[in-house]
This record gives sequence, C-alpha cells and structure tokens, in this order.
Amino acid sequence: MIVYAILVLPVAAATLCWIPATGKRAAAPVTFASSLALLVLTIKLAARVVAVQKLVAAPEWIEVDSFGALILVLVAAVGFLACLYSLGYMPRTTHNRSILHHYYGNFNLFIFSMVAVPVVVSPSLEWLAVEFTTLLSVLLVGFESNAEALEAAWKYAILTLTGAAIALFGFLLLFWAMQKGGGSSYTWAGLAAAGAKMPPEVLKTAYLMILVGFGAKVGLVPLHTWLPDAHSQAPTPICALLSGVETTAVLYVILRLMPIMHPALGGIVEEWSLIFGLLSVGVAAFLLIQVHDYKRLFAYSTVEHMGIILTAAGIGGAAAHYGAVYQILAHAVTKSFCFFAAGAVLLVVGKREIASVEGLVRRSPLAGSALLVGALAIAGAPPFVVFLGEFSILKAGISQGRYVTIGLLAFFLVVAFFGILLHVNRMVFSRPAAPVYDRRPAGAPLGGPADDPNLPAAATLDERWSGPADDPPPEAVDFASPRERQLIPLSCRVTLLLALIPVVVLGVYVPRPVYELLSRAAALIGG
Amino acid sequence: MAGESFLYQFNALAGGFFLLCTFGMVATRQVQGCLRFFVLQSLFLAASAFVLGLRPLSWHLLAVAAINVVNKPILIPWLLRRTIPEEVHTRREITQVLNIPASLLIALGIAVGAYFLTLPWVSLAGTSYAGVNIPIGLAALLLGAFTLTVRREAVPQLLGLMAMENGAFFTSIAIAPELHLFVELVVAFDVLIAVFVIGVLTTAIHEHIGTTEVGSLAVLREESSR
Amino acid sequence: MIVHLVYNLLQVAVVMAFAPLLAGVTNRLKEIVQSKRGASIIQPYRDIWKLFHKNEVISDQSSWIFRFTPYVVFIVPLFVTLLIPVLTSYPLFFAFMGDMLGGGFVLALGGFFFTLAAVDTANPYGAMGASRTRLVGFLAEPVFMIVFFTVSFVAGSTIPYIVQQAWVQPLSNFFEPAHVLVMLAFFILILAEGGRIPVDNPSGHFELAMIDESKGLEFSGPAAALMKWGGEMKLFVLICIFLNVLVTPWGLAASTTFSNVLLAIPLVLLKILIFVLVLVAVESSLAKLRLFRISEFLGVAFITSVAAMIMSLFAG
Repeated sequence: MIVYAILVLPVAAATLCWIPATGKRAAAPVTFASSLALLVLTIKLAARVVAVQKLVAAPEWIEVDSFGALILVLVAAVGFLACLYSLGYMPRTTHNRSILHHYYGNFNLFIFSMVAVPVVVSPSLEWLAVEFTTLLSVLLVGFESNAEALEAAWKYAILTLTGAAIALFGFLLLFWAMQKGGGSSYTWAGLAAAGAKMPPEVLKTAYLMILVGFGAKVGLVPLHTWLPDAHSQAPTPICALLSGVETTAVLYVILRLMPIMHPALGGIVEEWSLIFGLLSVGVAAFLLIQVHDYKRLFAYSTVEHMGIILTAAGIGGAAAHYGAVYQILAHAVTKSFCFFAAGAVLLVVGKREIASVEGLVRRSPLAGSALLVGALAIAGAPPFVVFLGEFSILKAGISQGRYVTIGLLAFFLVVAFFGILLHVNRMVFSRPAAPVYDRRPAGAPLGGPADDPNLPAAATLDERWSGPADDPPPEAVDFASPRERQLIPLSCRVTLLLALIPVVVLGVYVPRPVYELLSRAAALIGG
Repeated sequence: MAGESFLYQFNALAGGFFLLCTFGMVATRQVQGCLRFFVLQSLFLAASAFVLGLRPLSWHLLAVAAINVVNKPILIPWLLRRTIPEEVHTRREITQVLNIPASLLIALGIAVGAYFLTLPWVSLAGTSYAGVNIPIGLAALLLGAFTLTVRREAVPQLLGLMAMENGAFFTSIAIAPELHLFVELVVAFDVLIAVFVIGVLTTAIHEHIGTTEVGSLAVLREESSR
Repeated sequence: MIVHLVYNLLQVAVVMAFAPLLAGVTNRLKEIVQSKRGASIIQPYRDIWKLFHKNEVISDQSSWIFRFTPYVVFIVPLFVTLLIPVLTSYPLFFAFMGDMLGGGFVLALGGFFFTLAAVDTANPYGAMGASRTRLVGFLAEPVFMIVFFTVSFVAGSTIPYIVQQAWVQPLSNFFEPAHVLVMLAFFILILAEGGRIPVDNPSGHFELAMIDESKGLEFSGPAAALMKWGGEMKLFVLICIFLNVLVTPWGLAASTTFSNVLLAIPLVLLKILIFVLVLVAVESSLAKLRLFRISEFLGVAFITSVAAMIMSLFAG
C-alpha cells in the first residue's frame, strides 16, 4: 500500500501544480508538502523493508527490497532538499517567474520517474522508468531557455535517449535469452532462475548493450560528453537531483544485472564493469583539472564517482560490494550538498566561471565555507562520508590482492582530489587585487535587469544566525553578512545546513538501521 | 506449406523495404523526406508484425501491428506538426557532416556488419523469420544511431532515434513475441512523450537560438575558455 | 534445331520492327500527359525512312571510327537479341554464345564506340556529352555488376533462361526481397542507361543540358538513321531483359509450336506497354536532376542492389 502511495503522491502533486486557476500559487507549497511526505513515507518503507526483507505490492511488477529501498530513500531525501532549495533559489534566478509552476510540475514528475526505477522489478518496466527519467527531466534542464541551457538539454536528450534505445535492444535480447534459458517471468527473480542456462552468446551482447546504453545515461566515459553540460546548465536544484540520484538510479539497474549475468557469463561481467569504471574515473580525474566552470567541476566529479562505484562492483566480494553501496549513499548526499553550495556561490557571484570568483571566503563566508566543505567532502577528505566509502573500496581491493586495479584507482583519486581542490582553493582563498563588491542590486534575478520588489528590503537581525552551525567566526561575517543574507535566501541556507548533516554524520557514525539496509543491499549485488 | 513460404517471403520483403527506408533516412536531405521514410519504415514494421502474427495466429502480434499503424504513421507526424513550427519542417540540410555517397557507403558497411554480428543468434533462434528480423532490426538500430551522428537538423535526429526503436521492435517481434502487451502500449506512449518533449525543445531552440541546426551548436565546449 | 534458328531470327525481326514503335508510343503518351496532341506513334518510322533518303555529310577531320560507329551501334542490340529471351522461355539457337554478363559487355561495346565517335569529330558538344555519359556509366556499371551477382547468387547461374525460372518456381520466390529489390535497382538503371528523366531528358533541345543526345549531333543521313534505330533497339532490348529475365517469364512461349511463339509477340508487347505506362508516369512526375545529383540517384540503385545482395547472401 505504502508503495502505491509513494508512486501516486508525486503524480498527484504534479497534477495540482498544473490546475489552471490555482496551480500557479499552489505549486511551490504543494511540491514542498508532497516531497516532505514522500521522504517520510520512504523512510517508513525502508524501515519495513529492513524488517521483512522484501515488500511485494504487485507480484512480478512492483516489489521493493533493501537495495531498492536505499535508492528510494536517497531519491526522496535529495528530492526534498532540492525542493526546499528551489523555494528560495528559483524565484531569484529564473528568467520568467510566471512559469515557475511548470518547473514544480515537471519537478514532481521527475521525482516520480526516479521513484519508479527502484520499485519495479520487471526489466522492461525498468527500461521505461529510466527512459522517463530522461524525458521528464529534459525540459527542466532547458528550463532557463537560454542558448547554453537549450544546447545542454538537447545533448542530454539525444545522447541519453540513444543510449536508451541501445539498451532497449539489450533488454529485448535479455528477454529472449531468458526464454531460451527456460525462465518464464521477466523479472529480476525470473532472470536469476534462468541463470546459467541462458545462452552466453546472446547474453554477452545484451549485457554490453545495456552497459553502453545505460552507461550513456550514467555518464560512463566514452558517452559522458552530455553530462557536464546538462549538469552544469540546469537550475541548481535540478543539478543536485541529476548528479546526486538520477545517475545512481540508473546505475542501480546495471548493478542489479551483474549478479544475474554472472552465472552464464562468468568473470566477463566484472571485467567489463572494471574497464568502464576505471576508464571513467581516470578520464574524469584528468578532465577535472582543466574545467573553467565550477558547476562543471562537480559534474565531472559525478562521472568520476560513477566510475568508482562501477569499479567497486567490478572488484567483487562482499566488502567491495558494501563499499559500492556505501559509495552510492555517500555520493548522493555529498554531491547534492556540493551543488547546493555551488548554487549559493552562483547567487553571490552571479557567474559560473571559476576565474570570476576570487576571495569568496571574504565576500560571502557562508557560500565560501560551504563550497570548501563540499569540495573537501566530495574529493574524499577524511572526516566526511565519501572518504569512508572510498577507503572501504580500496581496502576491499587490497585484501583481494587486486593491486593493479587499486593502484590505478588510488592514483586517479589523488589526481581528482588535487584537481577539485586546486580550483576550489583558488576560488575560496585567493585575494582579489582590490576589494570586490557585487555591483548588482541585491537579489536581482541573475542576468535579469529588473530590480526585485518582492524581496525583503533588509534582513532582520534575528535571522542573522540562522545559517549553518559551522558559520565562520563573526568578525569575518561582520563585513559581508547583511548583504549575504539578501543574496542567499533563507530556504537555501536551511537546505545547506540540512544537507550537511548526513555528509558529516555518516562519515563518523553509521546508525544501526542504515548499516542493516546497506549490508543487505550489498548482499543483493553479490547475488 | 505453400502459404508459409509465401508468408516467409512477404516478411522478408517487408524487411527488405524496412532496411531500404532506413537507408533512405540516412540519405535524404529534406526534413519532410526523412519523415516520409520514417512513416514508411513504421508501416513495414507493422506489416512484418502482421505477417508474423498470422501463422500461428497471434492476436498479440496483430495488436502490435495495429498499435504501430496508429502510433507512428499517424500520431507522431501529427504531434510533430502540432509542436514544431512549419518553418522547421520545410528545412533541408545544406551542409552535411559527411557527403551523402560516403555516408551511404558507411551505412552499407554497418548493415553488413549487423548481418555478420547476428549470425550466431540466427542459428540459435532456429525459426526462419528470425533470419530476416534479427539482422535487419540490429542494422536499423545501428543505422538510426548513424543517422543521429551525420545529421545536423533537429527533426532528422529525432527520427533517427525513432528509427532505432523501430529497429529494436523489428527484432523483438521475431524473438520475443510473448512480451507483455502492456509493455508495448506503454512504450508506444513513451515514444509519443519523447516526440512531444523533443518537439517542445526544438521549438524552444528555434525561438531562442534561431536555428534548428542542432548539430552545429557548440557553446558548451571545454576549449572555449570564456 | 532449324525451328530454333527460325525463332531466333524471328526475335531479331520483332526487335527491329517494334523498337521504333516503342519510342513512338512513349513519346505520344508523354505528350498526352502534358496535354499536347503529340506526333503520331509511327513518327519514328517516318523519321528513319526520311533519314535514309538524305545525303550524308562526314567531317574530313574524322577518322574511320566515325564511319564505323553507326554500324556497331545498330548491330550490337541485334546481337544481344540472339542471346536473350524475347519470345521464348527456352534457349534458342545462338543462346549458347553468352550469358547476361556477356550481353552486358556487348551492349557496353556499342556505348564505347558511340562515345569515341562523339569525341572524334572535335565538336565540343560531342566531347561534353561523351564525358557526361561516362560519368553516368561509371556510376551505373557497378550497379549492373551487383545486380548480376545478386541474380547469380539467387539462381546459381547467369544464364538468362535459368534465372527467369528461379523467380517463379516456387511462386513465392516472386516476392523474395532480392527479386523485388533487384527489379527496383534495374528499373533505375534503365532510366539512367536509356537517358530518361530524371537522369537525362530525351526530348530536350538545349545542347548544354544534354547528356546522350549531344553525342549524335554530327551524324546525318543513313548514319543518323542507323544510330537512331540502334538506340531505340537498345532500349527495347534492355526492357526485354528487365521484363523477361528479371521480372517474370510470364507471356513467353513455353513450347516450340509456331502458333505459341506467334502468340507470344502480342503478349510481350502488352508487357512492354505496361512498362511504358510506368515509365511515362515516372518521367512525368519527376524533374531532371542536376548533373552532380545523378550520383545520388544512382546511389539509390546501388544501395538497393547491395541490400538485395546482402539479403540473398544471408538468407540461406
């Protein structure tokens, strides 16, 4: 029942957003309410799944197990944060405030498509759900309707839909192979039952096609070119969703297939995933060094992290699988925080070029420190959650004696660390030649000429310390803070604070239920 | 028996024309012409599904044929006309990424490659229809992807995408006829949404950038350090 | 044996007699489509008759090739007629001399001399037409080859009498993709080789736009008559190969009785009439292509024939 509620809720919210008369005003609160409810429901569902292993809503169509529940919670959590962030961010930055209800409607549909991915168990429906994640997010990517956003949306649509068409062929071949292997129901379980009896010559191509086709969507290297464009040009909350959970939701399908393919194909499954994974990590790590746009920086880092997860799955073994699942969690929470921070920087500076940002920590201590924390966290610095994930993967690999793989992976991770921090360090700490003040009228829409009458004229003092707890010391704030408060809306500040919690907490302490969920999910990848 | 060999040849003929239409989509300059080839291709897909559904009688495949006839030749062109301004439809490509004879030769190579690639599957399938449908379906899939890379106009790129899906289904009617009808219906719906979304996007590009030559959009490049 | 020889000569007579009629009917039909009255369908006969009664002018700068060419152009289609099924579905007396490839080469010989003669007189239009004909031929000949190869893959032979039976035994073979696609490709080749729209306009009078016609501008009197007649016979023979070998053997005489063979004459002419109707429909609905677009038009034929070949190769 609860699964149906999860599926219906976003669709209902989207419908409400598009009701002609009231939709315009109701869109934002309705979306906020539904995403909050979705988060609560998914956490409840995950708790149930931890208790009963597997929740069956409609046999052979809709079932949720631990791995699915994990993805579900991540989608709902990042979705909620992105919605909260949108409340303050979107009115500030959009070119046309009168069509924001389209944004929220589309936002809900996008959430729906991502929620659908982990709950359906039939690969054919899985393909459809993934296809819908593209179709329903294309217009969000191009929402700003300027040349860059539209170009990014076009590349995103065409490349990922091409990938999806290739994967469709793969899924049809998979169905055929399953029938040849004597399986009857086209579900994960049915495929696993056919197991080793599936003809390898068909299965091999099917696997390759799905890996390449969905790999395009995940951003694996030969087909990653759309990703930095789309993930940098979309509105920031959408970037967080795209990078944080959409890629992982698609990767979920690939990870699901690996144990199914393994009995018939043997080690090839792991080898290919290792090759694609390491290639992605390596190429992305070196591309990170040459970016000019800080949102692209985080987009490339997404490519890198997808590669890490796939590498971990390719290494194999319980420990590495746990690392992969943990990395999925870590990446989702950290990357969304990074994009929220980047959005804050964009609100303060108004430009996306790295070179245009100097001395951020003086100009806006909040944005600067958030960006620095985000960069450290995503690059894998010790106290944060990504470090734990990467460390457990490296450890698992070493304990299996995969020294070459681990050596390469570790080298690439160091390069990526260097690349990210090189740029962010310059942005945050470099001293501008002369004190720089943003000459835009406070709170003007980015790129828009008009002054904004709806903004509070000046922030009240008691709002002042509502920022994150790790705010910089007062003497730094004193000089920039009132201005900062005008530039970064309350909802964005709250989002930054909320998003920071799991990044820090999960890095030092994994609560028991979360650990249960993760280790069960890891066992599912292991087959 | 005689009837069966007729059905086999009709299916093979539909396959041959299906392949020819795919070549046509690679080679036509006009957006309209490309659309017409796509419609024909979908009709041949439907024809093949119809023939395959006759013996043994399979209502499922006949329904697939009906869905295809309604969806692709009627609804998709209608939707394209609704969402995309007329000006885009009358466009033609002045400059190609590759000239037409060269791209046709590459397309031929791809088709032959598809035949070689599918040889083991055809022997595995064992039915006579599979020998036609598997390689041609794969060829259409690959040629659709090829169309995407050699075309600069928006609508032909979309049609290349649709051709890829047609190719996948051309294979599936021979190897996986038992796939849920529900799935087929949802996929048909999904194709419509894809056309709608890309249509809206194309219109936006047409309005804001002033061209639909999407292949030559290159603002977002790493090299262009702004 | 004697009967076969007689029938063989009868075939030649039929081709000689009806080739101008084919041209006349085609022109008349086209003009009717264009809402003109048009010349009588026996106008080509009158033209040939008139030309035979005129004086011949030969440039004193030209060589023996120029004088020799009209005879080659006239003889070549007749020679091919001996090899192919025009009236009968069984091989006749001279049919052993060559298969379809041989016939193709012999027809190419006529074109070769025609081209040489066009260059021979140093008339600039002749050389222009010659080079353009070579351009078309250069693109069309690979397609001819692939069509013949495909046919030989399907039938296991290039002997026209074996090939024509392969399409209809069993009857379902008629719908074989290789067959239909080869028919399509060959039809395009006939348009190109016969100098029809959209490749060339046979009724055009503007020398700069001509491909085929400009090569014969220098011929006069009986030589011009032979050239004209030979050209018409070449088209007739091509159509016979297309209809009787590549499409179906229907309408051909299957037995050696004289009445059967005589009956085949109107049946074959009926087939040709149907073909002419299609030809007129195509010619009237298309516009002449620019010269450099011809490569794309023949590319269609090429793709079609290769698709036919792939499908027949992998069908087994």
